[in-house]
Amino acid sequence: MRRHDTKDPETATYERLVFRNASDYHYMKISLIFEGGNIRLNAAHFKQLIISSLRELYGEIGAALPFDVLKFEENTLSAVLRVYSSALVRLWSALTLLGGYQGQPCGVRVVQVTPFLLALSGNSRELKLD
Amino acid sequence: MYSNLEKTPRHLLVCEKSNFKNEKSRHGIHVENHYFNYRVSVLIPECGALPAGLSTIGSSFGKYYLVKNLPVYEIVEQQFLDLCVKKGSFYALSYNTRIDQDNSAALIPAGKLILSVDKDTYEELGLEGQQSQYSHKAVMRHIITIDLTDASFAPGTKKYKRVVWALKEKKPLACDFLMAWHPSGEGDFSLSSYFAKYQCKEHTPSVSTKILRDIPSPVIKSGELKGKPEESCDSQEFLDWLGAASADIDCNNEASSFLSTYCCPEPSIVMGQACLWTVTGFLLPEKICMLLEQLRHYFDEPKLAHWTALTVHGFADSPVSWGVAEHGFHKGGENLYNFVIFRNHDYWLQMAVGTQDGCPP
Repeated sequence: MRRHDTKDPETATYERLVFRNASDYHYMKISLIFEGGNIRLNAAHFKQLIISSLRELYGEIGAALPFDVLKFEENTLSAVLRVYSSALVRLWSALTLLGGYQGQPCGVRVVQVTPFLLALSGNSRELKLD
Repeated sequence: MYSNLEKTPRHLLVCEKSNFKNEKSRHGIHVENHYFNYRVSVLIPECGALPAGLSTIGSSFGKYYLVKNLPVYEIVEQQFLDLCVKKGSFYALSYNTRIDQDNSAALIPAGKLILSVDKDTYEELGLEGQQSQYSHKAVMRHIITIDLTDASFAPGTKKYKRVVWALKEKKPLACDFLMAWHPSGEGDFSLSSYFAKYQCKEHTPSVSTKILRDIPSPVIKSGELKGKPEESCDSQEFLDWLGAASADIDCNNEASSFLSTYCCPEPSIVMGQACLWTVTGFLLPEKICMLLEQLRHYFDEPKLAHWTALTVHGFADSPVSWGVAEHGFHKGGENLYNFVIFRNHDYWLQMAVGTQDGCPP
């Protein structure tokens, strides 16, 4: 006669996976800085500004480059963008050469670039103790 | 046409699954060997208030010190080694130094001093070191590792004299240091009084709690690290989603939306509420181990949640990531790890590093 042993709930066996360049996307935390004045713009205007910079640099094909504005803060004019890894260089170069909005000179400061969205929540270069 | 522009720097993600009760589980070793931790976050689903155990641990995270303009030779002096380094776990990391531009220094609890210096400083110092693993044709960075607890480094030996002379006279190196000490026994040593002649300020880690409401979350199963179509999400998708939840990013977008098409991975369920608790500062691995143990016992009583997550972010400008593995900053300095703790004591451990890092252990 076979005994039915009571089984412990199934526990995970050890497994290890290593992914190289697994992230399809890169994430950028950026900040739009104006030379002076109180310029207000909303998220849609902000995205349109980046698209126009892409168009200026790479033409209509560049302007069609898909990217997401995951988060935009109107007070600080800072944003989190998501772009395909293969398009990172094109987007970053367009942000670098972005020069103005409605006649006002401005620039984009790239605060952090990472393939892991989680890394945007813990940037030690923001630690200010003075 | 753009094939050259489409290359991106390499990054690595290691996903492990195991069980805490497994004798060979290395969860403790991974935490202990990640010496320099900037931020710890805990996400607890279906939880509207911070559990008492967590807030107790939050207040016990311990103070750390910022010592301004400290000459590096001071932490190499025999008196300091005897009073502090050999009597516990001492951690020191240069503050406000960028690992890709400036000279950086770190002292790890094994008693090793690690200096990451540029070419000119290396030549002026005259100490033996190695080229950075991530050098290209022109070597711009060198790593000098000095084992302060080695017998050949005893006071009076040639090596000791040379190191102290190089750091004190030949090329005096000084920088701001973040430091913390975890004593191994009873002792009355105080970092603030030892470094009283320098500007030494005590700091307490800052703690914040946030309650997230009505957020979609991916369904995950502890035994399915790669996920299963229609049943559970894989570990990478979960890690991305955790990033979105931590950064307060909306996961409810439509594919036709102009601004963002980011959505929660499927299959998903909506969490009524979740508690996101964050501690920021110069955090010791010993305390993170305690936190991990506390989270393991979160499920001792019945809970609605199926899992909790513990994320630890390393310092982007640390010269090491895990152990003595060299860490650099190319486009980013990420060296983070994340535990997903399940009810049945299973866990996932995800370790992510950027370009100038070796594969996590």
